[in-house]
Amino acid sequence: MKLNRKLLTRVFAVVLCLVFVLAGCGNETQPTSSETPSSTTPSSTEPSQSATPAAALDPVTLTFYCVGDSQDMSGIEKGVNEYLKDTLNITLEYECFGWGDTYTPKINPMLAAGDPIDIVFTSNWAANFRSNATAGYFTVLNDYIKKYPGVEQVLGSDFLNATQIDGKNYAVPTNKEKAHNWGFLLKKDLVAKYNIDLNSIKSLQDLEPYFDRVLAEEPGMTPLLSVQMDGPWHLLDWNTFSDDDVPGALYPDNRDTKVINQFLAPESVALYKQQREYYKKGYLHPDAATQDNFSAEMSTGKYFAFVAPMKPGKAVEMTQQTGVEWEEIFITPIVMSNREADGAMLAIPVGSKNPERAFMFIEKLYTDAKLKNLMNFGVEGVHYKWSDDKNYIIPIEESGYKTSGGWRFGDNFKDYLTVGEALDKAQQWEKYNASATPLLNLGFVFDATNVASEVAACKDVVQTYYKQLFTGSVDVDPTLARMEADFKAAGVDTLLQEIQTQFDAWLASKK
Amino acid sequence: MSKRKFRLANEISTGSNVVLNIIFVLISIVCLFPILLVIAISFTEEKQILLHGYNIIPREFSIKAYDFVLSAGDAIMRSYGISILVTILGTILSMSVITLYAYPLARSSFRYKNFFSFFVFFTMIFGGGLVPWFMVYSQLVRIRDTIWIMIVPYLINGFYVMIMRTFIKGSVPEALMESAKIDGAGEFRTFFSIVLPLLKPGLATIGLLSCLGYWNDWYLPLVFVTKRELFNIQYTMYQTLSSIQFLTSGSANFAELGKVLSDLPGESARMAIAVISIGPIIFAYGFFQKYFIKGLTIGAVKG
Repeated sequence: MKLNRKLLTRVFAVVLCLVFVLAGCGNETQPTSSETPSSTTPSSTEPSQSATPAAALDPVTLTFYCVGDSQDMSGIEKGVNEYLKDTLNITLEYECFGWGDTYTPKINPMLAAGDPIDIVFTSNWAANFRSNATAGYFTVLNDYIKKYPGVEQVLGSDFLNATQIDGKNYAVPTNKEKAHNWGFLLKKDLVAKYNIDLNSIKSLQDLEPYFDRVLAEEPGMTPLLSVQMDGPWHLLDWNTFSDDDVPGALYPDNRDTKVINQFLAPESVALYKQQREYYKKGYLHPDAATQDNFSAEMSTGKYFAFVAPMKPGKAVEMTQQTGVEWEEIFITPIVMSNREADGAMLAIPVGSKNPERAFMFIEKLYTDAKLKNLMNFGVEGVHYKWSDDKNYIIPIEESGYKTSGGWRFGDNFKDYLTVGEALDKAQQWEKYNASATPLLNLGFVFDATNVASEVAACKDVVQTYYKQLFTGSVDVDPTLARMEADFKAAGVDTLLQEIQTQFDAWLASKK
Repeated sequence: MSKRKFRLANEISTGSNVVLNIIFVLISIVCLFPILLVIAISFTEEKQILLHGYNIIPREFSIKAYDFVLSAGDAIMRSYGISILVTILGTILSMSVITLYAYPLARSSFRYKNFFSFFVFFTMIFGGGLVPWFMVYSQLVRIRDTIWIMIVPYLINGFYVMIMRTFIKGSVPEALMESAKIDGAGEFRTFFSIVLPLLKPGLATIGLLSCLGYWNDWYLPLVFVTKRELFNIQYTMYQTLSSIQFLTSGSANFAELGKVLSDLPGESARMAIAVISIGPIIFAYGFFQKYFIKGLTIGAVKG
């Protein structure tokens, strides 16, 4: 009996210890919700220097989750909190969770569970904007947009309205490029060596003589880089309704409103055949179908040409990134599509306890250059320093922080310039944006709920065949026949019909 | 005097022995080669990989990748520490919980054992779904963003409970517990002094499985943890690798893709992270092995 009791005591001791450990850990790591405002409240009598008349805003904590792989955001949080103390009076909790594959599964359950998050990044490729908005997880922002007009002033009503769903704004897009086109990047030293007149290049065929010269004169070089969808395929610039690997597109020149399967269109078939020829001639790398990182491939300096999304200063940017010098040539017309409109947006989840303050913060990302750059590049002197001529900023490597890109939120044109960028970047962009033709389906949102399984099945078909066809690794006709049969089985007709019906209804409602 | 005469009854012939050995050597190579390749790549200069592909002997030896990974600072080391802590704590706790749950189920004298067996069996077939599961830990049991979120959800596993119950039934005769009772032992003494020592192989099996489970888990941090300082090593690695996969898959289309891609760690750095994350778990096999084999064979053949 005595032994028995001794054992019992031991068990209880262990259990008690565990309880204490549990309790200890719990407290240690849960400071967020219990943060008391008393100690940090600035005296409300202090006159506010900001334009916002709200002199005495209560201190609140705003949580901001974004895509990106930056580390160590505490310095930025501190900088922002200090900077906004007298105006917005917030405590920012800012965190990045990688890109789509890790960001989306983390954010979506939080949105579904109604977590008190204040600002989230959303887009057509991460934490899907359309599905989350239609599911009712985002706050409707129309009233706030009216009340705090900064966002609309910066973006322009047209672009902002392009992201509406049934007349409601669920998120605000980043002010960045509002249009796209495609073109070539050519390796600069070879352009000089072959004395190529860049203005004479209007299509892929125009480059063929140079491809032959590369093959003959530059051993070890591959004339044309084609990695997954980033290759000559983009020159067709199909005006898609969904992801790039989902059938359903219009011609990019606005010729009609008939939805077609772009993967079987005559133009695409001609491209497959052309690529097959290129592959046989050796214009393409024999392993092209399995390569995946175009940026890494470009930095080897073993390629002459690449089809890339264009924008002012593209060649400079790619030169910086890859360490290889490039020249740019614009090929396809500049168009304004949904791709740009919902490529990067900020939304306020319905779980937010302070949606108005969150929106005020978002507005400042569009109107306040200092805040925008603070969020993006960090604190001056800690995370970056100015170049000697004060034109550029230089990130400080040892700070442990590295920006994941100013295009993710706010007004991208307020970003400080980094070394190598054109001083008149903003003006160049304005010109580029102004020259764009809006596509017919700009602002139309395809709702895939009725055909979700067809979309998934068709995606599979595309993923199965596109790499071989785009890189010319297989014979076109038999593969095309198989792909066509698979598309039929996957219900592509139902999918196209559904897109057509929705699109026609939307067109009719617009008139 | 041929050697044949001295051959034991269950010994195999030299010919089959050689063949069998060759087969197993081949299997070992198939298993080891990828690991060696990963290690080799992690020591290869990045440019060489892009130019020449993977080589089992590095064309240009470089420890830059490890430099890069370790200079990412305490992030890797901290996540490493989190992983070790979670694995040790989680394995001990889950072994305790599973054994304490399985033991009564193995006793024929426990009246509600069918109900409780069904209760745990049910969880093997049906799950609550992601969002309700998420809400349990974010609203009912508020342990999100603590170290416990990486431990508690895996504490009990229906399948392991079933293994353990079967193991106890098979290796601890009911008569043994009865005799302990006759000798005056209470329930606790019977369990701790009589039953538990007999369960070593079973515990080792469960221990190894849950140890691996905890070490390799990246899903719980993915869904529940928002605080960077609580990310474990597997999740840190998963985030890096899946970002690369996602960004290069073609489903992400934004103009700055190229810039993002060029900032990602290179091939050799990824392999270095993989090598580091293999780390201590390799020793777990050695530690559990001798019991593990016993645990697998015991109960399989009974005299």
